[in-house]
Amino acid sequence: MTDSMSNNRPMTDWELARRQFLKTSGMGLGAAVAGALLPQNSHARTAAATGQPAKAKRVIFLFMAGAPSQLDLFDYKPDLVNQFRKPLPPSVSMGQRVTAMTKGREQLVAPSKYKFEQHGKGGIWVCELLPHLAKVADDLCIVNSFSTNAINHDPGKTFVCTGAEVPGRASMGAWISYGLGSMNQDLPEFIVLNSAFWTGGTRNVQALYSRLWGSGPLPSKHQGVKFQTSGDPVLFLSNPKGIDERIRRRMLDTVGAVNRQHFQQIGDPEVETTIAQQEMAFRMQSSVPELTDVSGEPQHILDLYGPEVTKVGSFARNCLLARRMIERDVRFIQIFHRGWDHHTILPQQMPGQCFDIDQPCAALILDLKQRDLLDDTLIVLTGEFGRTTFCQGTLERDNYGRDHHPRCFSGFLAGGGIKGGMMYGQTDDFSYNVVADPVNVRDLHATMLHQLGIDHERLTFPFQGLDQSDRRSNRPKSSTKL
Amino acid sequence: MIRDQVPASSGLLSRKLFGKQCQAASAGRAVDGGQYTSSYPREFKADSGESIYRRSVYTFWKRGMPPPQMTILNAPSREECIARRERTNTPLQALLLLNEVEYLKAARQLAVSVLGEGGSKPDALVDAIYETVTSQQLDDKGRAAFVQLFADLQSLYQKSPELAAELCGDVELPKAVSREDLAAATMLASTVYNLDITKTRQ
Repeated sequence: MTDSMSNNRPMTDWELARRQFLKTSGMGLGAAVAGALLPQNSHARTAAATGQPAKAKRVIFLFMAGAPSQLDLFDYKPDLVNQFRKPLPPSVSMGQRVTAMTKGREQLVAPSKYKFEQHGKGGIWVCELLPHLAKVADDLCIVNSFSTNAINHDPGKTFVCTGAEVPGRASMGAWISYGLGSMNQDLPEFIVLNSAFWTGGTRNVQALYSRLWGSGPLPSKHQGVKFQTSGDPVLFLSNPKGIDERIRRRMLDTVGAVNRQHFQQIGDPEVETTIAQQEMAFRMQSSVPELTDVSGEPQHILDLYGPEVTKVGSFARNCLLARRMIERDVRFIQIFHRGWDHHTILPQQMPGQCFDIDQPCAALILDLKQRDLLDDTLIVLTGEFGRTTFCQGTLERDNYGRDHHPRCFSGFLAGGGIKGGMMYGQTDDFSYNVVADPVNVRDLHATMLHQLGIDHERLTFPFQGLDQSDRRSNRPKSSTKL
Repeated sequence: MIRDQVPASSGLLSRKLFGKQCQAASAGRAVDGGQYTSSYPREFKADSGESIYRRSVYTFWKRGMPPPQMTILNAPSREECIARRERTNTPLQALLLLNEVEYLKAARQLAVSVLGEGGSKPDALVDAIYETVTSQQLDDKGRAAFVQLFADLQSLYQKSPELAAELCGDVELPKAVSREDLAAATMLASTVYNLDITKTRQ
């Protein structure tokens, strides 16, 4: 090396390559191990496979941010009517620490004012506010035994999205993108859609933050790509003024040619990645507008998703977009809907919220089903925790509120090899504690990975001297009964 | 570094030290309004003028929603300590460098100053831009490629003078330089800014 530097002769290709190698792997042995991760996706996939065929290939995660009340949606407790305004027995709460909002207050039981009926062959209980979901009851696996460790929104949401309450871990979609890789050439693997508005009022609305779809210690190419709710769906997608497609194409041809020449000189594979990504960017300039343009959807499909589908940024529109993404083999789609934090006057807000999600969720299931895409697409709906059986704020038969409740909450899974038409897990008479088949958030993650053919204990990434895994400690169990 | 290198090499960078942080010009945060209902700032309003050309250390940072042109280039989220930044290479980065308006304005500024210094002969123009941006000298093969690109861009813009006018905006043209030439030189500079050799530290 010093020879070639001192006598000023140009370095040979071999020397250049060696030099490049030493530079990029300058960390010694540790980096050499990390180097084994270069073909990351295939590596992770083979190392973490369950050995069983994957039942699902793609995921749609519907996140109800703010935490909907399980008591008013799926966890039917008819006997609570007789407990109206009676104190919650201490034998049930077992001295559980509650939030500062209801600390030291009386815990008076607030039964749900809504009617429940059994639906489908499985006879699953669904609240009257969800008439469309009730019609697809045989595709739903309702879980009433979710539980979490967090009692406040920020750690709760971070836990559901990343498997840890402490910020900094990789999100679900990032892990799955890392573990399974891409199935298409023109779109990102992990897309995040935020619903720009909701009907249930704007009280107590928490922000969403990019860590919920972040990549943590994983390479950042796995982080979720958040589509904007107005303007360009992807930032900086459109050519700026004064540049049209021909000019862009002509320019990229030279960029590519010069980059290729550069690659021949130094042999750094990252240059090839640059070329590929610039071409991907060019393709996205046409593939993303094509994806988000729903003008070609027939009227009966739009009707299926309900009246809100015409509004850009609505939950309904996002569900329709999710179906279009699934058709184009996007691996992981996460849709956020906010406004579920009903501490007080819950009945004023619940119907609007349910209106927002009921028909679109049912439509998504039906629409995927009629395209034979439901079998290998896993749909999950959940909040970050549940709500208390006791009231916060004014308590009347038809007016009440509920505080945060981590010990049990409800949601559903559909498609992706999940058994439909069933209810999984049981809570006690007050919908306070889980009494059968508990599904902690980590168990949910493990179950989702299981459906995707990944063994959650073997999907790891070396960071901070440890093999970071998706779901750490506590030995989560995938619920194979689902 | 990529962010600051562009205004620095084009001559747009503000040398001002200290003072108030600035809101980066960004489509992303402005259009996604309604994100925050209670915490500061409720709405992002991009600054204008000199302050958007200040170094990145002066950019306003909200941890829950950091500036997208930083996170796209893999800036740490500031929620955990990072000993070493990952090397990334994404299509979003490519889109940012290709399409973000401020980057393009920087390319235009570079084109204006090089053309103004009398470098309107293609060879000299290409050499000057390439050297300014990459601090390296072009070989003959590379020069030929860029000269050809400049000629092609000139003819494309001559066929669509309205595009050239849009790209030039209200910029004052250097003497004896047509809009079409400035537009072509701007795209030439933008091309160099998008090269791997420019954005990757070797």
